[in-house]
Amino acid sequence: MPCDRIDPLVTPFVDGELPDPDRRAVEDHLRVCPPCHSRVAAEREVHALIRARLPVLRTADAPDALHARCWAMARLTPAADRAAANAAPMPMPVPKRLVPYALAASLVLVVGGAFVYQATDKSARVMAAELTADHLKCFAMNRAFGTHDEAAAVESSMADIFDWRMHLPANPGNADLELVGSRQCLYGEGEIAHIMYRHQGHPVSLFMLPKSARTEELIEVLGHEAKVWCANGRTFVLVAREPRADVERMASFVQASLH
Amino acid sequence: MARQGLTVVSPAFEAEALASLDSLYRAALRLTRVPADAEDLVQETYLKAFRSADRFQPGTNLRAWLFTILHNTALNRARDRARDTVAVDSEIVDRAADASPLGGWSAGTAETPESMLIRDTLAPELQAAIDALPGAFRQAVWLRDVEEFSYAEIATMLSIPIGTVMSRISRGRHLLFDALKKSSVGGRQPPVGVAEA
Repeated sequence: MPCDRIDPLVTPFVDGELPDPDRRAVEDHLRVCPPCHSRVAAEREVHALIRARLPVLRTADAPDALHARCWAMARLTPAADRAAANAAPMPMPVPKRLVPYALAASLVLVVGGAFVYQATDKSARVMAAELTADHLKCFAMNRAFGTHDEAAAVESSMADIFDWRMHLPANPGNADLELVGSRQCLYGEGEIAHIMYRHQGHPVSLFMLPKSARTEELIEVLGHEAKVWCANGRTFVLVAREPRADVERMASFVQASLH
Repeated sequence: MARQGLTVVSPAFEAEALASLDSLYRAALRLTRVPADAEDLVQETYLKAFRSADRFQPGTNLRAWLFTILHNTALNRARDRARDTVAVDSEIVDRAADASPLGGWSAGTAETPESMLIRDTLAPELQAAIDALPGAFRQAVWLRDVEEFSYAEIATMLSIPIGTVMSRISRGRHLLFDALKKSSVGGRQPPVGVAEA
């Protein structure tokens, strides 16, 4: 076999992918052709070296935050499949790696079917944590889709879905709040309203839980602040990863403006 | 009310897909070289994967499917940014490879004693040499020797013929050999025939 016929066979030969007749033909040629023998030897050396160093080549793991964001993108289901989602949650493997507690908690909440308990049965802290996880998830999705809703559209959705006639703050710009959009999020055995804002570029979520009453308080959870208050038989929770004073201020503004 | 029209994805599918995150990230680093860009690439890959989950045929190689999405996404991004694309880079290098004379790499006299030197190469140096390869060869060697995909799977991922896959792997391995051989003989010299992609 001439050398140029050997050429395309070298790589599969080194990789052990050649059928026997071809393999023997190559071996026969290599026995009598030093240049080709050198070429094959060189390629074999590199192949063997890479294989030998594989464990180290494979140690550059992705950052924890990237894992968290990608996990958060999973488990989004449209309303039609709410029944399936609320059935006994399937056990999901949490990534087997060390992650900072805050991220681990949010992963478990999002991954393990966060919204499992009755809304009234859980402590405020657990509720705040679950909503914070949802806040992270929804904004991760929004970054990908980049939706921006008009206030009128949000108001009309809130009226239709929740029978919640409200007016969004007329001048959100005053509080540096830019409306991003709204969602219905699965929670407990129903749904809650989730209005998404940006405050000076940072994501802020306002949740409305219908038919619910809670004490007013400010909770620190998962590296975020969650301000909880109650009005007209509804519970509101404002979630942001900002200093307490800013969160209190935004909550007051929203509280005063919603009517 | 704006609803995201996402298909229901089974938890098993998601978990299995997400299990490849680290290796997708490493492959993304070979493609973009910049960690922040690699992260974006991986995130976009999963977004597309979950959105088009119904197009995945159960029983086929999920990892290969994800890697294909990753490479297509990278290619589209590069084209959008009108930078030197992998495709352009690889067209040039493939043509150059076809034109070069037989054994233009490291053939000639038997070099067996020297070739043994590269066996001592440590992983960081090997990683650097791989990253210094032109994009087309870097990917072919990475996908074959590190990620262990078949030639056919790599052909699909990179949208090239199987023959091209094999010749790129061969060329990449030889360029690595020359680079590592030179540096192991003493003194840091730039690898022969390797240009910054």
